[in-house]
Amino acid sequence: MAATIFLAMIILLLLGFPMMIPLIIGAFIGFYDLFNGVGKMDFMVQQFMAGIRPASLIAVPMFIFAADIMTRGHSANRLIDMVMSFVGHIKGGLAVSTATACTLFGAVSGSTQATVVAVGSPLRPRMLKAGYKDNFVLALIVNASDIAFLIPPSIGMIIYGVVSNTSISELFIAGIGPGLLILVLFSIYSMIYATIHNVPTEPKASWGERLGAVKQAVWPLGFPVIIVGGIYGGIFSPTEAAAVCVLYALILEVVVFRAISVKDVWDTAKSTGLITGVVFILVGAGAAFSWVISFARIPQEILSAVGVADMSAIGVLFVISIAFFVGCMFVDPIVVILILVPIFAPVVESVGLDPVLVGTIITLQVAIGSATPPFGCDIFTAMAVFKRPYIEVIRGTPPFVIILLAVAVALIFFPDIALFLRDLAFEK
Amino acid sequence: MADKPADNEHSSDLPGILGIIDSCISRLEAWGLALSVILMAVNTIANVIGRFAFGESLFFSEEVNRILIILITFAGIGYAARHGRHIRMSAIYDALPPSVRKVFMVVIAIISSLCLFALCYFSVLYIDKVASSGRVLPSLQIPVYWIYLWVPVGFFVTGVQYALTAVKNLMQKDIYLSTKVLEGYDDTEVEL
Amino acid sequence: DTWRYAFEEALTDVQGMYATKFKEEIEKNSDHELELFPYGTLGESADIMEQAQAGILQFVDQSPGFTGALIPEAQVFFVPYLLPNDPEQLNEFFRTSKAINEDFKELYAQHGLELLTMFPEGAVAMTTQEPVTSPADLDGVKVRVMTNPLLVETYKAFGATPTPLPWGEVYGGLQTNIIQGQENPAFFIESTKMYEVTDYITYAGHSNFTTAVMANKDFYDGLGEADQKVIQDATDVAFEYILDYQQGLDEDSIAKIKEAKPEMNVSVLTEEQRAPFKAAATQVEAKFIEMTGDSGKAILDQLKADLEAVTQ
Ligand code: NA
Ligand code: NA
Repeated sequence: MAATIFLAMIILLLLGFPMMIPLIIGAFIGFYDLFNGVGKMDFMVQQFMAGIRPASLIAVPMFIFAADIMTRGHSANRLIDMVMSFVGHIKGGLAVSTATACTLFGAVSGSTQATVVAVGSPLRPRMLKAGYKDNFVLALIVNASDIAFLIPPSIGMIIYGVVSNTSISELFIAGIGPGLLILVLFSIYSMIYATIHNVPTEPKASWGERLGAVKQAVWPLGFPVIIVGGIYGGIFSPTEAAAVCVLYALILEVVVFRAISVKDVWDTAKSTGLITGVVFILVGAGAAFSWVISFARIPQEILSAVGVADMSAIGVLFVISIAFFVGCMFVDPIVVILILVPIFAPVVESVGLDPVLVGTIITLQVAIGSATPPFGCDIFTAMAVFKRPYIEVIRGTPPFVIILLAVAVALIFFPDIALFLRDLAFEK
Repeated sequence: MADKPADNEHSSDLPGILGIIDSCISRLEAWGLALSVILMAVNTIANVIGRFAFGESLFFSEEVNRILIILITFAGIGYAARHGRHIRMSAIYDALPPSVRKVFMVVIAIISSLCLFALCYFSVLYIDKVASSGRVLPSLQIPVYWIYLWVPVGFFVTGVQYALTAVKNLMQKDIYLSTKVLEGYDDTEVEL
Repeated sequence: DTWRYAFEEALTDVQGMYATKFKEEIEKNSDHELELFPYGTLGESADIMEQAQAGILQFVDQSPGFTGALIPEAQVFFVPYLLPNDPEQLNEFFRTSKAINEDFKELYAQHGLELLTMFPEGAVAMTTQEPVTSPADLDGVKVRVMTNPLLVETYKAFGATPTPLPWGEVYGGLQTNIIQGQENPAFFIESTKMYEVTDYITYAGHSNFTTAVMANKDFYDGLGEADQKVIQDATDVAFEYILDYQQGLDEDSIAKIKEAKPEMNVSVLTEEQRAPFKAAATQVEAKFIEMTGDSGKAILDQLKADLEAVTQ
């Protein structure tokens, strides 16, 4: 059954069907096969509902809404102008700033999809104007947003910690090293890219100009204050921070700057809803499909055929990496963690691997999986928000994926990339 | 921000009363989307203010957002189908000659439409199951099935849109991504 | 045949241990195979419950607290200070209670479920940032509770600010101080790492987390007598196993917590300290009766009678 489903899905996808249809038909085939007919297919709808239920998803429309208001008004441009006054003269400066912004925003918001939208919407047009090619810009935004998986708070790490009985605090700290390493490598690649493609730089700004740019950005600087201060200050959750950003964006753009009208706000809300619907129906269809995979115990069957039981520690890490990478290509990351972690737990223990290292590697694979074809939530989000075709969103991806995979391999051979900070913090 | 007059956005090709119904549905979807997103912001902010300023959480806040997210998703899919905004992987499709693309588009639209009608039917069955179980939302104490009522409507409307897309492609010379949008990504760059 | 059994916790938590034992017994005494589906692999509590009602799953473990949306009377286990703290009395109550073994069985049957057993998972403890010895200490403290009106009422009565929060946001919420407390049995506090982000564990003795195992009724009724007996025997064996497993589970979990975080403070409130909490609890009982009417009151009275019998 598994082979039929995957084959059918890939073919439908390649033929140009709307992305939800391969997932829906994959689930149809699964239900038909598992329950000998259409009798239980109403439970697909249950899983659609389960997929869009998590409260943390509410952050996505809220950040889309806030980002769209900021981009239509003045806030986003003033923030970018300020950053550019400091880095505009550096080759690749804007790209590095974008990667950093994605990492920071993703880290605090905890949502990679929200990051794609909130950081990507204002910065993509600026990068295009500055001379970067769209496929580089899209790939940078999607992949840099996924660093957020590794930097706390990370829902993937929380789930892993609970399922594998591993300290979540230690996981959080272990994720920082690889997360920053990836950011550094993405930045280096961005600078190389800017040099090769000869992306023009701006003249170096004087300190007077910089001060002017900062003054212009005083009000919009409230956004990072709200998000970082609000979340770490214990005033609200990431989801609520998103909603407060909407309120602040409305006050700034409608009342203070008078940059957009109430009618614009209404239109923005409408397009926010449209993008949310387009992405969330895929989340729902993905959940229905994941349920079939889980119920039919397909991962267990595939893995028992691989025979991880008598492998070395390094071998086990490779199998884990591959399993999560492939799993996240098709199935929601959280479900992959919930299903696969218990399967691997005994092996991990028997070969004496550090569960914190394993958790970090798994989280990294989950991040890679969300940004790589064929199915990846962040790809879908980028397509829906930026209205670009699939192929354009993924065309620039290979260098980024190579960097990510290199870091994954490096983690296997040099666990200290992850464990150094952990050992320091927990005196191990 | 809209490039075309607002009333164009909801206009329908369907004849007579069907056209009126169609454009009414389009308006309803647009209203539902915008209003739900705004209500979600208001609800979430109210919860923050309640907890921070008065030390009281709105205990039903989470459930209200759950209702709204279903409304947004299922109003959104119909609206997106109407405006050709559902995402797809078109690399191979784009490389085909127009005559083949046209056949493909009709087949894609028909199969998509059938899938969505099937889901519409299954969601009615599911709602019936939830309704007869008597399950209620713990905080709001309203029957759970109420919050799902929009689901079959959303699937049905989307299915109709794809069916109409197939019909439109059969009747017209050009290739249509949806009832309102010609194929080619630049066409969809229009702000909605 | 292949039977399927889903539950709300990880495989190594109490529900998972019960399920594993149950599976062992079924497979030992019959040709049937039992597949286990831990937390989240087929959906959340409400999802797996529906799947069991529809016969997609043959067995499901759902705690009565979650069943409240379906069977309001099941929330009786959220009435504070109802169940005894003494393990012997508690176990005897679950073995002999007429309310559980007869009244609830009938209520579940009305929803297409054959109630196999209910068992306690452990005394519920509060974990907080500051010490708690009286309701005054909970003043202004935001305590995360499951989205359930009785739990909200309980923590209101205790003087706290009950804050319903989805489970996924609890760890982060404690870390960033959006909430300052939560409640769960010790094994769950240990396995979900809630102790990493709180400093005090307090036993107020107000509740013991109860859970229930059910089979799909059509499936169960359609089985031959032999198979039904296999299931009943497996239920009984796993029930005694899990009661036994829990001897010292609290101490073990607390020991593990202490080992991971030596500065953790664990305290058990004295009878005297509990008195004001107990006094506050009466309003929760009233709320329960208000919510569930005569049928809820009947269950509550029966439960009290059953408890009377085991505590004498
Ligand atoms: Na993060
Ligand atoms: Na993927």
